[in-house]
Amino acid sequence: MSKITWLSGGALLAILSFSSCKKDPLNNLSNDESRIYVTNYDTTANFSSYKTFSIADSVDVIQDNQLLGKELGSFDTAVISTISQLMQQRGYQLVSRETSPDLAFNISKVISTSTGIFSYPDYWDFYGSYYDPYYWGYPGYGYYSPYAVGVYTIQTGGLEIDLLDLKNAATHGNKLTAIWTGLARGEQVFKTANASAEVGALFSQSTYLKN
Amino acid sequence: MRSLLKYFIIGVIIIMTGTAAHAQHELQFNLDYNVNIPTGSFRDFVTHPAYKGFTAGLAYPVNDQLSVGLSFGYNDYYQKYPRDVYNDGHGSDISAVLSNSIQQLPLLVTANYALIKEGIVRPYVGAGAGLNFVSFDQYLGEFDDPHSMTRFAMRGEVGILISLSNYSSTALKIGGSYNYSPFNMYGVKNLDTWGLQAGIRIPLH
Repeated sequence: MSKITWLSGGALLAILSFSSCKKDPLNNLSNDESRIYVTNYDTTANFSSYKTFSIADSVDVIQDNQLLGKELGSFDTAVISTISQLMQQRGYQLVSRETSPDLAFNISKVISTSTGIFSYPDYWDFYGSYYDPYYWGYPGYGYYSPYAVGVYTIQTGGLEIDLLDLKNAATHGNKLTAIWTGLARGEQVFKTANASAEVGALFSQSTYLKN
Repeated sequence: MRSLLKYFIIGVIIIMTGTAAHAQHELQFNLDYNVNIPTGSFRDFVTHPAYKGFTAGLAYPVNDQLSVGLSFGYNDYYQKYPRDVYNDGHGSDISAVLSNSIQQLPLLVTANYALIKEGIVRPYVGAGAGLNFVSFDQYLGEFDDPHSMTRFAMRGEVGILISLSNYSSTALKIGGSYNYSPFNMYGVKNLDTWGLQAGIRIPLH
């Protein structure tokens, strides 16, 4: 019996040793490869029917569903600038928010410090407190997202870009409906050098977003 | 990793407990290194062979040619795919580097039959059936979705035994196998593999 015990134990040790050599996918990813880009759009929206757009002049910082404030650092400026450039390349005209644009961009840096589940509907439950519809000239209106980005378990932050339909707010039951959402998550997602590439990736997989 | 460790311990305990009653007879201990190559729908998930595989087991010789026993194994499969855009057909697109990682731990009741009674080189055939403890994980970027489950498993094996001693049944073992394991999850129908193994068989006195 002792010989069986030794051999079985030795076999267990050998197998455990090799099982500890299991290939860890996370050790085989660069920072760029760690990032994912998720887009959702309203499949019923006619993106060519919109002519003008405006962009929020700063970026909201939201941590654990609490608004910490607004920022306009180098990363935020790069994101706003790239969105503006790409939208104009696609035939949309950049206008100020006071001139009743058809479309509006809200930008957020969403940070979660827990390992719980991030649920997009939860984020939208508090959307009005992050972006007062009055800012877009629609006091008293609510926000509405017809879909959920998805459910993730995150330990880092993410860049969230929401495109709102202001043109049809009244016909949508006084709601500023999101017709497109872009989400970038992963390592160094808030690094200024990555801002343009991240926004570019979100737009490149959204070929329907054009005038 | 915790679930894998649990399955290892369960497997070793079963092997040790199941053969304890026969400890007074000559048992055989087998330890093989194996390489497994995915086949069938498993190749839709991973095409690369698993080079880090082991099987250990105990066998009780019923007679000069037939032995029965238990075996426990480990195989690790991994593959990374370049960045691509995945569309769900409902307005959602995800651009990601996709990584697939699967570990299989088969625990099988086995039977091996040597085709000739004596000789330095003896061909054999073998079969096994039991459970396959599976750890299945897919990464989109650094975000993963791990799952553990238990499935049925079967194995068919052929090979040769090369005797190393005239006074015992110590032998080298070289062979090939087909491993069958239905899965039917995440678009993967089965986790079947072709296997190549080389190892040693040691009698326990």
